[in-house]
Amino acid sequence: MKLFASAAETRARFSLTAFLRRYGTLVGFILIVLFFWIQRPQTFMTIPNWVNISRQMSILGVVAFAMTIVMVTGDFDLSVGAMASLVGIVAGTTFQSGGSVASAVTLGLLVGAVGGLLNGVLVAAVGISAFVATLGTLTVFRGLALYISGGASIYGRTIPAEFSSFGRGTIALGRIGETDLVLPNLTILAFITLVLVFIVLNFTIVGRRLYAIGGNMEAARFGGIRIRRLRLLSFVISGLGAAVAGLMLFSRLSTAHPTQGEGLMLQAIAAVFLGMTLSEESQPNVIGTLIGVLILGVLANGLTQMQIDTYIQQISTGVIIILAVTLSSLSQQQGHFGRWLRRLFRQSPADSS
Amino acid sequence: MSANTLLFELRQASKSYAGVRALIDARLDLVGGEAHGLIGENGAGKSTLIKLLAGLEQPDQMTTRLNGQDVDLSDGSAAYRLGFRFIHQELNIAPALSVAENLFINNPLPSLAGFLVDWATLRRRAIEALERLGVKHIDPQRRAASLSAGDAMLVKIASAFIGDDARDEPLIMVMDEPTAALNSAETSLLFDVIDRLRARGCALLYVTHRLDELFRIAQRVTVLRDGRVINCHAITDTNTSELIREMTGRATPAKADRGADFGAEPQPANTRLRVTDLRTDSISGASFEVKAGEIAGLAGLVGSGRSELLYALFGIDPLLEGFIELDGRALPPLTPARAWALGMAYVPEERRSQGLFLGDHVSRNIAMPHLDQLSRLKTFIVDSRANPLSRQLGEAVRLKINSLRQRVRQLSGGNQQKILFARAILAQPRLILLDEPTRGVDVGAKYDIYRLIRQLADDGASILMVSSELDELIALCDRILVMRGGRPAEELPAAGLTESQLLERCYDFA
Repeated sequence: MKLFASAAETRARFSLTAFLRRYGTLVGFILIVLFFWIQRPQTFMTIPNWVNISRQMSILGVVAFAMTIVMVTGDFDLSVGAMASLVGIVAGTTFQSGGSVASAVTLGLLVGAVGGLLNGVLVAAVGISAFVATLGTLTVFRGLALYISGGASIYGRTIPAEFSSFGRGTIALGRIGETDLVLPNLTILAFITLVLVFIVLNFTIVGRRLYAIGGNMEAARFGGIRIRRLRLLSFVISGLGAAVAGLMLFSRLSTAHPTQGEGLMLQAIAAVFLGMTLSEESQPNVIGTLIGVLILGVLANGLTQMQIDTYIQQISTGVIIILAVTLSSLSQQQGHFGRWLRRLFRQSPADSS
Repeated sequence: MSANTLLFELRQASKSYAGVRALIDARLDLVGGEAHGLIGENGAGKSTLIKLLAGLEQPDQMTTRLNGQDVDLSDGSAAYRLGFRFIHQELNIAPALSVAENLFINNPLPSLAGFLVDWATLRRRAIEALERLGVKHIDPQRRAASLSAGDAMLVKIASAFIGDDARDEPLIMVMDEPTAALNSAETSLLFDVIDRLRARGCALLYVTHRLDELFRIAQRVTVLRDGRVINCHAITDTNTSELIREMTGRATPAKADRGADFGAEPQPANTRLRVTDLRTDSISGASFEVKAGEIAGLAGLVGSGRSELLYALFGIDPLLEGFIELDGRALPPLTPARAWALGMAYVPEERRSQGLFLGDHVSRNIAMPHLDQLSRLKTFIVDSRANPLSRQLGEAVRLKINSLRQRVRQLSGGNQQKILFARAILAQPRLILLDEPTRGVDVGAKYDIYRLIRQLADDGASILMVSSELDELIALCDRILVMRGGRPAEELPAAGLTESQLLERCYDFA
């Protein structure tokens, strides 16, 4: 008895729609890079600028990588931005009351884990939708941050020098020609997070089970997966990611403001969505998320270099996210627009499946 | 429209799904003022026929005539325009709206000045529509969410009578097991309404598993078996045992040709599963045993608690009371995870929604419940352990795939089902629970699955299987437990049993 039937029908035929569906986001990223390279030939495609981009994106990266885990299970976490702010305030307050760097970091991470646990309990055990639950905790965390800080920023001499220097610090790797090759500490942290999340999602039982939960929760339960425990875990990881990001932000700015992390949430979710377009089954995946983060980072960096208004930056970022997700959802069943676009590319439906 | 005239004719209706013939050359006549029963075992083609009438599926072939005129029902909305109304078991009532608004769900609401809802007219016409059916106990201003299942059904039926002109009702009402969720008081209210519908000249097509209902309300009954119309009787010319015989087909060779291939081994001795007074929300006091190496079947009507008994045994539904013993050891409260770990396996009824991860690889689908065993340090996935095993199991269940990395979504129903079997047998379970193991599976795959089940039992596994296909139960099982009212009510040895006898036990005829 032969297990594998003939593979004749699996031969691939090139199809523009199929190619754009699968790799459109990556193509878009390359086009964006080329565009800025042409626009700013002296400054954009340089090592210092890319080091700079990596530092700028490191904080978002940590949040988005952790968020990927939650989104793999089919949920999402709206509270990460507020959590990042709260953790900054908690660490800052610890410094104000004479705490060490170690105690401030430990306390911050603890707050992140407990907040994530709260989200997880609400979603996985109580059964509230992730949208409502994390919208609620978002508001709670923001309120807490404002209450603890009295609405004011924490900065100045109470913050130990070794803490604030970490965020600006780099590790020298050597020289290439005229330029020093350095890696910012924050970039290294983001890279470590990336590797950890990549290992968990791709090489561990937990990761495979998280994907199973996202794929079919009932089948996962019938198949013996402890759904509640894993969903809880994913929210704890997301909370921890937000806490790390909050500490990184505090360290980099040497300032903890009770709302300084708020932009992170939408950007992180957008990055994961951008990354989902790069997966065959439209699943969240951390390499895709990395591409998403880079797209957002390169856009911000390039548009700033071209001295384009930050408001316009927001508009273009939004448009690009919508375009990417639209392009990737051009499957047969997905409505009139997809059919219209396929006609435009003169593809028979069979080609794009 | 006068009563007792031929209203609708269906001829030569045929439909195949992926090569499996679900309906073959079916014919049906509906007469105004008559209720026409449609009966047959699960899979006989009743649902297919209804879907063709509703235009939900495209027929391979079908001729339909309404009042002598050829009509085309293949467009989804044609049936509605022509006066067909379909009442399903699951009613799409909008719970947040009032009864009156639900009555208007397929019609524009009466309006004032073109944009304001005319609540007074709405209410008046709602009351009129209900009264046409003799329904007086439902207040049109109640929220639909508060309706009982029976009242919701009456509202759904009444919504067909909301039209302004009472004579504008060329109605053919199709009811698919309407009483499945109703209690006896609600059922008798429904029957009164059906009588009124008939008095108005409606033709009814009434699908049911409950034969006694037909003798109360129907004038004519059509029997389907294996996609064919076996017979059409005037209800006065037939009786229950004749209908059962026609539904099951006395001539079906149960043991004669299949039994030879799947013949039972001599009965082994030791008890594998002992269940004592098990209770859940849907199981009321189940007590039974299954021996090692035995195939025990669960027969019963829809709603008798067959699947729910498996849910209770596999820890899917929480136990309220009772004990489960496996090989003499009392089991702790179960979850599916614990059940897999204790050497139980489960193939669910709805393979797509309850079993498979459609977007994922074949090998991952097979390995999913067993990842702990296939890992390094109980943490890291080791594909070099999972893949050869998946390949080996795939061969054991005669899976036909292109690669272990193929997405399960692309496979046929039979191959998808075989993946669930491969998953179930990976850890060499002691007890295998099967829920409709051959549903929606082509004939070749069915044969493979029968062979596999017999093989598993011969190798010592105990099997408890639910099936609506009685010939399958009789041919495959050593012993059949008949489910009635949420528990196994009696046990029958499968040897020598006929389908008619078994179906009679399901219906509990003396």
